[in-house]
Amino acid sequence: MKPLFKFFSSLKLTVVLLTFSMMLIFFGTLDQVQYGIWHTQKLYFESFIAVWAYPEQAPAYNQLFWLRIPMPGGYLIGGLLFINLLAAHFTRFKMTWKKSGIFLVHFGLVLLLVSELMTDLLSKESQMPVDEGGRSNYSQSHRANELVLIDRSHPDYDSVHAIPATQLKAGKEIEVPNTPLSIRVVKYYPNAEIGRANNNATAPQSPADRGAAVKMGIFVTPQPVSYADDAINTATAYVEVLSPEGSLGTWLVSNVIDERFPPQTVQAGDQSWEIALRFQRQYYPFEVELIDFSHDKYPGTEIPYNYSSEVMVHHQDSTKNQKALIYMNHPLRYEGLTFYQASFANQDRTSIFQVVRNPGWLLPYVSVLLMGLGMCVQFGMHFFKFLGKRRQV
Amino acid sequence: MRSIRNALFQVSRQTQTSLTRTTSIVKKLTYIIIFGVTALIVLGSLRSFKSDSIFDIESFAELPVQVGGRIKPLDSVARNTLLLLSGRQKVITADGETLSPIEWFMDLTMRPEIADNYPIFKIEFPDDLGLAGLAKPGERYYSFNDLLPFSEELRRLHSEINPEPKKRSPYENQIADINEGLMRYHRVMHSLHPIGSAERLDNLDEEYQSYTLMIAPGMAELRKQQAGEPYDAARLNTFITFADDYLKLSQTAMLRVVPPPAPIDPMEDWKNIGLELLDVMKGDPLSPYVTSYASLTMSYRANDAAAFNQEASELRERFKADFPDAIGRVHFERMFNAFQPFYISMQLYVWVFLIVCISWLRWSQPLGTAAFWVIVVAFAIHTFGLLSRMYIQERYGVFVTNLYSSAVFVGWGAVLLGALIEKFYKNGIGAAMASLVGFCTLIVAHHLSMSGDTLEMMRAVLDSNFWLATHVTVITFGYSAMFLAGALALMFVIFGVFSRKFNKDTARSLSAMVYGITCFATLFSLVGTILGGIWADQSWGRFWGWDPKENGALMIVVMGAIFLHARWGGICRERGLMSLAICGNIITAWSWFGTNLLGVGLHSYGFTDSGFYWLLIFWTSQCIFIATALLPWRFWRSEFGQANYRKQRKDILTAAEGA
Repeated sequence: MKPLFKFFSSLKLTVVLLTFSMMLIFFGTLDQVQYGIWHTQKLYFESFIAVWAYPEQAPAYNQLFWLRIPMPGGYLIGGLLFINLLAAHFTRFKMTWKKSGIFLVHFGLVLLLVSELMTDLLSKESQMPVDEGGRSNYSQSHRANELVLIDRSHPDYDSVHAIPATQLKAGKEIEVPNTPLSIRVVKYYPNAEIGRANNNATAPQSPADRGAAVKMGIFVTPQPVSYADDAINTATAYVEVLSPEGSLGTWLVSNVIDERFPPQTVQAGDQSWEIALRFQRQYYPFEVELIDFSHDKYPGTEIPYNYSSEVMVHHQDSTKNQKALIYMNHPLRYEGLTFYQASFANQDRTSIFQVVRNPGWLLPYVSVLLMGLGMCVQFGMHFFKFLGKRRQV
Repeated sequence: MRSIRNALFQVSRQTQTSLTRTTSIVKKLTYIIIFGVTALIVLGSLRSFKSDSIFDIESFAELPVQVGGRIKPLDSVARNTLLLLSGRQKVITADGETLSPIEWFMDLTMRPEIADNYPIFKIEFPDDLGLAGLAKPGERYYSFNDLLPFSEELRRLHSEINPEPKKRSPYENQIADINEGLMRYHRVMHSLHPIGSAERLDNLDEEYQSYTLMIAPGMAELRKQQAGEPYDAARLNTFITFADDYLKLSQTAMLRVVPPPAPIDPMEDWKNIGLELLDVMKGDPLSPYVTSYASLTMSYRANDAAAFNQEASELRERFKADFPDAIGRVHFERMFNAFQPFYISMQLYVWVFLIVCISWLRWSQPLGTAAFWVIVVAFAIHTFGLLSRMYIQERYGVFVTNLYSSAVFVGWGAVLLGALIEKFYKNGIGAAMASLVGFCTLIVAHHLSMSGDTLEMMRAVLDSNFWLATHVTVITFGYSAMFLAGALALMFVIFGVFSRKFNKDTARSLSAMVYGITCFATLFSLVGTILGGIWADQSWGRFWGWDPKENGALMIVVMGAIFLHARWGGICRERGLMSLAICGNIITAWSWFGTNLLGVGLHSYGFTDSGFYWLLIFWTSQCIFIATALLPWRFWRSEFGQANYRKQRKDILTAAEGA
């Protein structure tokens, strides 16, 4: 037990782990050229083991294609550092004023690691596009998709039944809660190209026998998933809808077949549902109204100088209504969410907000204060000791 | 007995005073020489303030132009254009005459027939272009007229190269550079008025006059033609020729030299000359700036200095009245351009380095003191340059806005820390390394400035004075400290291995310096990185995004942490720590430049092609130093190394005996 404790509390382990972390960060940066930031993050920093492979674009690939470098991933290094730090504090450190700076730094670091983990696990990012003069009460992911069946029969509200796209696996049957329906996934493509067959050309066989696919002669070519940061994957599926009486037919759904197209409807008896595959939505108890979006440029140039959105938030509870100006470096924090000016579209008539829910957002601020303070204390003590010595000399 | 002793005492006192007298003479002489050279370097650059031309070039150089969202003097435009085309800020004509950028610009815009013969297009490898008859032996600069016969061929070659700039070969880059250079040359040439035959340029005022007179009747004829009524074809044709010509000019002219009429809104776009001429058709009066440039051109061509100077000063007065807030800044910018503070401090750093090197051989005390004061002067000029940039950009407290200014600032920070070390230790080491890092980073900055304007506006995301002043400044200061620590470590290795004089005490004081500076570097990198995280949280909603630049900064922090833990844990001794500090150079260079080369992420603001090549060279050199540091002790020639070697052998012997 004791040697194990000694091992985990040793400074050597710290140095080794730090060296590994440097290596991990370096290769995790290099691979971003290939996989984009988002995917690399999953591969390297939110994993236990990462393997770097010699990239195809690099020189001498033909000689070095076999080169693989395995290394501990972010969770493993972070976890071990965490244990190392705690073990060191339990065994070697004594609470003295001389060490107070180091304590602060280390405590700040622990907090930072925890907050990063919390962000990884708990934070949610999505986007909310709003047209000038328009309102929106939901934001959508630009990676995750969902299959929805929408019942629009009620005059005041719609009922949305959603199935996350991660559940859509070929051959799987899923019951749609609160409806008599269930669906059977015929095919699911995380990314695809959607095209229209020419009338005279022989269109590829399509399993769909209902909806837009039949009416418009749409066919699907599967594509590899793209990890580029600005790329949007066209998730597409063939789904068969089953009612207690039997199959109602097979529909083609895709996140590019969106509001611009007439809705596809599933009819069972006298009830009907719209069926669609769309970016996963998050609904809120309030609506964001975009009053005005402005996009200014430096005079005589195309260099953007300012983006800003004047918004009015209409909450169901009208005491929570709020007016705000969202612009660069000045987000709106509202009901545990944060709205950032992310982008714009539609000749400056649509503003796109990044909506982030991150319950741990304050932690880094605290940890920063602790670490900065700790370093100042520690190095300050060193420095004054040094000055004192020199004075004696 | 007593008298003898007295006599002896007196003799010894006399020799002592004569000795002190000679040392004090040597001292004075050194101070005088060093002061003289320093003054020469500083004053040398003041020469370029005034030209001896009969034309009032200074006033012309300060005429305003709106570029990149800012009002600048023409002087800056001339310099940046010339830098892009030639890679230097002067023109040497075929006759061996040297022209300043603004003199060249005047010829380019007003006497293009002469400017076309100036060799200003820099072509590094003219033989590689495959254009028979172009390359002149040993010549890297070519004139427009040299290139003219090959323009068809150049255009064809340009159409064949890779459209993706990042994927071009050096050959393709050269083709692209020449074509873009020719385009820029053409567009800048057309900036002040339409270009045409000598006759047209000599009679610009008549052209404008007949054009303004032509507008009303021309429009009338046009209306008649459109209504299907009979019209005067000749009259309409003249009008349309004008309109066509000015339309083309509005697409070609590079510079926005025509301010809007008063009252002036600073956020309003200025017009280029062609657009202003076209807009006269809408019924706007022709801006006096346009006619003034025409008069300037005509008097310059007629060699009429009096008329030129009169017009130039009138133009300036008008600008002063229209833009009372901008005039000071524009004037200052021209002075700043001429003074070139970073260039002076670069020379002074070389000078300091020389003084220190001599001081290690002889006269160490007076030379050491002198070196310290010269570095103070150099640092003051360096600081003045940084403050000037702030004033010109109207961003107080913001030192770093792009890769170029980061290079300037890294040097500044290193010099500041180095000078402090010098003040404490007074052994030349701080001054030498400060001047080395200062010089190298300014050289890097000089090469980065080749890509054009270094005082550009900030994109909206980055446009936050508070964060630019805190996060960016702090993190760049972290780079400075890392590099200074690395440089001190290099010194340790070089002296330790090669110099016999290097002893235990020097080793101890050097490693104390490296330790202290690394503490600084870690603190600043950590605080800077975290501030960056907060900024990111404010603007994108994520504290940490694993973006390459963020990762680079984190690697520096981790490097610092490795160094400190290795030292505290006694894992590495002196030379191990020195190797780690040199490793810090590698990491810092990666973080600073390498991450930009990747071309991904939010911070990739400065992609440079040749950068990768230089980075590799730098890395290799640092690896060689690390390898040198790890040489077995017996190869270390210094006292320090030999002592360690003896100790090592003794340890082995005791171990053997014990066994």
